[in-house]
Amino acid sequence: MALEVENLRRTYDGFVAVDDLSFSVAAGEIVGLIGPNGAGKTTTLRSLAGILRPTAGRIRIDRHDIVADPIEAKRRLAFMPDEPHLFEYLTVEEHLRLVARLYTVADFESRWRALVQELELTGKERALPGELSRGMRQKVVIACGLVRDATTLLFDEPLTGLDPIGIRRMRETIVARARGGAAILLSSHLLHLVEEVCTRVIIMASGRKVADGTFAELASRADLHAAGSNLEQIFMRVTGHD
Amino acid sequence: MISASLYITVCSAKNRMRKRLARLREPRYLLGAVVGGLYFYLSFFARGRSRQAAARRGRPPAAAAATAAIAASGPAVVGAALLVLATVAWVLPFDSGLLEFSDAETDLLFPAPVTRRQLLLHRLLRSQVGILFGSAIVALAWPAAGWARLRMSVAMWLLFVAMRVYFTAVGLARNRAQASLAARAAAAVPFAACLAATLAVGIAIARTFAASPLGGIADLADRILAVATHGIPAIALWPTTTLARPFFAGSPAQFGAAMAAALAVCGALVAWMLASDEAFQDAASRLAARRAQKAGGARAAAVRARATGLSLALTGPTELALFWKNGVQTLRLTGITAIRIGVAAIAVCVAVSSMVMNTMHLRGGAAVACAVAMAVAAFTAVLGPQVVRTDLRTDLLHLELLKTWPVRPATVVRGEMAWPAAMLTIVGWIAVGCAAAFSPAAFPRTPALTRAAMATAAALLMPGLVFAQYLVQNAAALAFPAWVPLGNQRPRGVDAMGQRIIMLGGALLSVVVLFIPGALVGAAIWFGFQAWLGALVAIPASLLCTVVVLLEVLAATEMLGPLYERLDLLAVERTE
Repeated sequence: MALEVENLRRTYDGFVAVDDLSFSVAAGEIVGLIGPNGAGKTTTLRSLAGILRPTAGRIRIDRHDIVADPIEAKRRLAFMPDEPHLFEYLTVEEHLRLVARLYTVADFESRWRALVQELELTGKERALPGELSRGMRQKVVIACGLVRDATTLLFDEPLTGLDPIGIRRMRETIVARARGGAAILLSSHLLHLVEEVCTRVIIMASGRKVADGTFAELASRADLHAAGSNLEQIFMRVTGHD
Repeated sequence: MISASLYITVCSAKNRMRKRLARLREPRYLLGAVVGGLYFYLSFFARGRSRQAAARRGRPPAAAAATAAIAASGPAVVGAALLVLATVAWVLPFDSGLLEFSDAETDLLFPAPVTRRQLLLHRLLRSQVGILFGSAIVALAWPAAGWARLRMSVAMWLLFVAMRVYFTAVGLARNRAQASLAARAAAAVPFAACLAATLAVGIAIARTFAASPLGGIADLADRILAVATHGIPAIALWPTTTLARPFFAGSPAQFGAAMAAALAVCGALVAWMLASDEAFQDAASRLAARRAQKAGGARAAAVRARATGLSLALTGPTELALFWKNGVQTLRLTGITAIRIGVAAIAVCVAVSSMVMNTMHLRGGAAVACAVAMAVAAFTAVLGPQVVRTDLRTDLLHLELLKTWPVRPATVVRGEMAWPAAMLTIVGWIAVGCAAAFSPAAFPRTPALTRAAMATAAALLMPGLVFAQYLVQNAAALAFPAWVPLGNQRPRGVDAMGQRIIMLGGALLSVVVLFIPGALVGAAIWFGFQAWLGALVAIPASLLCTVVVLLEVLAATEMLGPLYERLDLLAVERTE
């Protein structure tokens, strides 16, 4: 398994944001992480990315524990957050170059130009983040994640701020990376996107996992059988909003 | 609209105060409030008390006469200064802040069915909290008590309001550049009046000084008073001297009369500002766009992505990548060309002036230049790292990104502090070099070898001092992230000020402790070899001291690793 999570728990001053969460994502798999606001999705992704220390539990990226062996684990991981955090005074190209240096990307020169083209950032290579739109900044963050060969990709609301063309390209990019062998965990409120690109879905509510499986598996579950066959109906039933 | 403005102002002030009082439950804010309060007490009240005691002991008759003369001419002197300021404001406009609507005000009040004048009055009303606080601080700082302090506070409040309104009106009038010819001409009338008034007063003052030599401060005050009370200059100065008169009123009755006249002037200014409201929409939109750019962290948008001359290789130590990143930030803000020109200009100026001073034995000038250079070097070493914050104190804002990097924590700490420390070390070296260049003329009796040895020793100590300070500052940011303002954040309130005082004291104390081993080694070298080496002993002593300190810094960055790993996003405070 490229990504393994065992009994993850994270609390904030006594408030339990994520509780006893376990799942895994295999290479080539695209797993959707969905749930209502405050379900613990972003906390989960931040814990997986090494930004937040788990209060309890284990997270392994390619068998490297994120707490015990953080450098090797992070080397194999790319996290694309929903809010694009970029350095104000570095251009798009300089951001990619910095990432290449930090992650030791050997064939950077050939790789970054292709990526800029793929994400439609051509012409913006020398622009500062302040000169870019929200969607463009989001693309730069994604480019920083894709410029290296990460085995596990974490996307938090990857389509926020993108135009329709960008959304289509992003979907293609995500699917292409999975076909290339990457394990992908994708958090989104856009259920149609999850339904379209994900091979499996994990539904969270109040910090706990309430459902995990392929769409067929979820639809055939005894308690969800009456809910209907599409993801939205299943989601509503599982989270108690039907 | 006035009631709505009052409601917003009162509710905002009340909630801000409630929030600040609530945070006193946290020990760090409580401690900060105690220290901040103590600082205020010692700075204002205790000092005022000692001055009152000195005043009670009496003054010599000559000094008393001069003071009386200055008090009599006070409104005229302040009025003349205000007139100059009022004229300069047309050429170099001051930002009054009155048109800077917040996002909430823009989104909620602009679409509301209210007039532009009502919006201007709303901003004026909202600005009162800040103005009242500012005048209270000035009054507290005023070395007097009781009635004099109250008078100062009220007079200062009125002056602040008048200035803010005036600067806003000037801004609005200048904004009419796109309007019709008639509107532009109407807007130019106040500027022409200001300019004419300033010229009239300036010519009258020049004439009175040219007539006979000046006979002291009392004479100076008398002459300005004479100018301000006769003829056209008296009329020209009337509005500004009227605003200044409440500061110098003796009795409550005189103060009341002066305030009534000053309020009338202020009212006239408000009426003028409101009459210029057609230009309001454009000016407000422009300011809103500028503020949005700043608030969005898009200050870089105003900075061009210019070449910095720094390139990043794809392999090498990770510290250098962070060094490069922070270097690009600094050079993009200041501009490499500006730095090159600045350094070249300093080099040429120092070389030429020191050569002239050394040749002509201009000891006084050289001593001043040398002292200034040494002061710059000392400031760079001691306070520079508090000011130049291109390290973790800025990048903790990007902690979410930093934490995802596969980089050892100690490497991040070292890389973050490397650039600003190197930059300040170079600035310190330049200052020491300047001091050394002026030293032959400033200290002609000191042997050249001694001067050279001292300058070299100071230059050798510089990296130790600067790196030690950066270590302490970055360690504080990791150990007490909530105590350290990040980036351009400036937490407000007495408690926040107290926190800054505590942090400054703690940081300086820590640097002293960090320097003890190095200082002991240096002292041992000094006392052991001074007999043989003379003044030259300062060089190995300072060198070894710096080496010991730098080794301590290196070891300490490794020890900071676990702190960085444990640092949680939630511990990094965002200002209110």
